[in-house]
Amino acid sequence: MWLVSFAAVSYFGGSGVAVLPIAVGFALLTTWWSYYSSDKLVIRMTGAQVLQESDNPKLFGLVQEVCLASGLPMPKVAVVIDDAPNAFATGRNPEHALIAFTTGILDVMERDELQGVVAHEMAHVANRDTLVSAVAATTAGAIAILSDMLMRMMWFGGRRDREGGNNPLLLVISLVVMVLAPVAALLLKAAISRKRESLADATAVDFTRNPAGLRKALEILARDSTVVHQRSNAVAHIWIESPLDGKSVSRLFATHPPIEERIATLRALEGNA
Amino acid sequence: MELLIILGVAGLLVLFLISQYNKLIRLNVAVDEAWAQIEVQLKRRSDLIPNLVETVKGYASHESATFEKVVQARAAATSATAVADVAAADGMLTQALRGLLAVAENYPDLKASANFLSLQEELATTENKVSFARQFYNDNVRALNVAIKTIPSSFFAGFAKVTEREFYEIEDPQERNAPKVQF
Repeated sequence: MWLVSFAAVSYFGGSGVAVLPIAVGFALLTTWWSYYSSDKLVIRMTGAQVLQESDNPKLFGLVQEVCLASGLPMPKVAVVIDDAPNAFATGRNPEHALIAFTTGILDVMERDELQGVVAHEMAHVANRDTLVSAVAATTAGAIAILSDMLMRMMWFGGRRDREGGNNPLLLVISLVVMVLAPVAALLLKAAISRKRESLADATAVDFTRNPAGLRKALEILARDSTVVHQRSNAVAHIWIESPLDGKSVSRLFATHPPIEERIATLRALEGNA
Repeated sequence: MELLIILGVAGLLVLFLISQYNKLIRLNVAVDEAWAQIEVQLKRRSDLIPNLVETVKGYASHESATFEKVVQARAAATSATAVADVAAADGMLTQALRGLLAVAENYPDLKASANFLSLQEELATTENKVSFARQFYNDNVRALNVAIKTIPSSFFAGFAKVTEREFYEIEDPQERNAPKVQF
C-alpha cells in the first residue's frame, strides 16, 4: 500500500508541493478503507469462518456472558483452523466487531481460561483498538511519505542552489532526521500497540473479575511454542500472542509486552482480590 | 465587544449545564437498562425451573418438601419488583435450587438421565449470566451514585430528577461465606 503511494509520488516527480496532499490523501484513503471493512478484510486474510450459535454453544455462552458483563453488543464469532493457540479481534466499532479463535486455543483452554481470552478480545473491541491502530498506521505512513518527499525536494533543491549557499551542518541534521523519522514512527506504533495490549489485559479483568482465568491462559500460551501460520506483518499486532519470532524481533519493535510481564501483572491482581 | 464576551460566556455556561444534565440522564438510563437485563436473565432461570422440578419428580416423587420450597421461592421471585425484594427472592430461590440439586445427588438414575444433565448445564450457564448481569448493574449503579454525589454533577441531580439507586446485594448467606481459595 505504501509502495503504491511511493510509486505514485515518484511518477509525478518530487518537485510539486501539490503532490503532497494527493499522496497523503491516497494513503489515508486506503488505510481508512481497510479500517472500515476490517472485519471482512481480516476474514479473507486469515481464512476465518464465522460461526452460528449452534456450531459451538459453549463458546457462544462464554461470549454472551462477557457481553452481559461489559454491556457490549454480541460480536461475530469466527474460528480459524490452526493448531497454534491464538485469538484476535477486529472491526471498526463494537457494532461491527469480529472475534476469532484458532481451533488450537479452543482445544487446549479450560472454561475460565477461554473466558479470559474472550474477555481480552472483547476488551480490544471496547477500547476501539482497531481505530487506534488505524490512526497509528496512518500517522506512521504519512510520516514516511512526508520524509521521503522532503528528501526528494531537498535533493532537487540542493542541486539548483548556488554553491556553498547551504549550511552543511543543518543539511546533515535534516538528513539524519528525515531518515530516522519513519523508524521513530514505527517504534511509536509498536509502543502504542504494547500499551493497548496491557490495557486490554486490565479491561478483560474488569469484565470477568477473574484475573486467574486470563493468567492461566497466558501461561499456557507461554509454554506452547507453535506459531500461527498467518504470520503477515499487517495483522501481527491483533493476535493475543505475538506470532512473530521472538528472537528476531527486537524488544523495541515488539507489538506485545513480554508474556512473563503480563502474567506477573495478572498475578499481582489476584493477590489483591 | 463586551456583549460578545458575555454572550460567549453565557453560551459556554449553557453548554456546561446541558452536558451535566445529559450525563446524569444517560447514567440513569444505563442503570434502567442493566436492571432490565437482570430481569431477562432471572426470567430465563425461572422458566427452566418447572421443567427441572418435573424431571426430578419423575425419579424422586416423595421429596415433596424440597419441591414445595422451590415452587414457593419461584413464585416469590416472579412477583418481586423492588431491587431489595428481587435480591432477597433471588437468594431464596438459589438456596431452594441448591436443596433440589442436593436431593438429586441421592438418585443415581436421575443423575445419569440426559434430560437432567442438559437442564443442569442450562441452569449453570443461566446462573453465570445472572451473575454477570448483576455485576453490570452494580457497575452502572456505582457510576450513577458517584456522579450524583460528586461535584459538579451533584448540583444538577435535583434538576435532572435523578436519585441514588440501590446496589444489588446478595442476600444468600451461604454465598456470602464462600471460601476464598489461595494457591
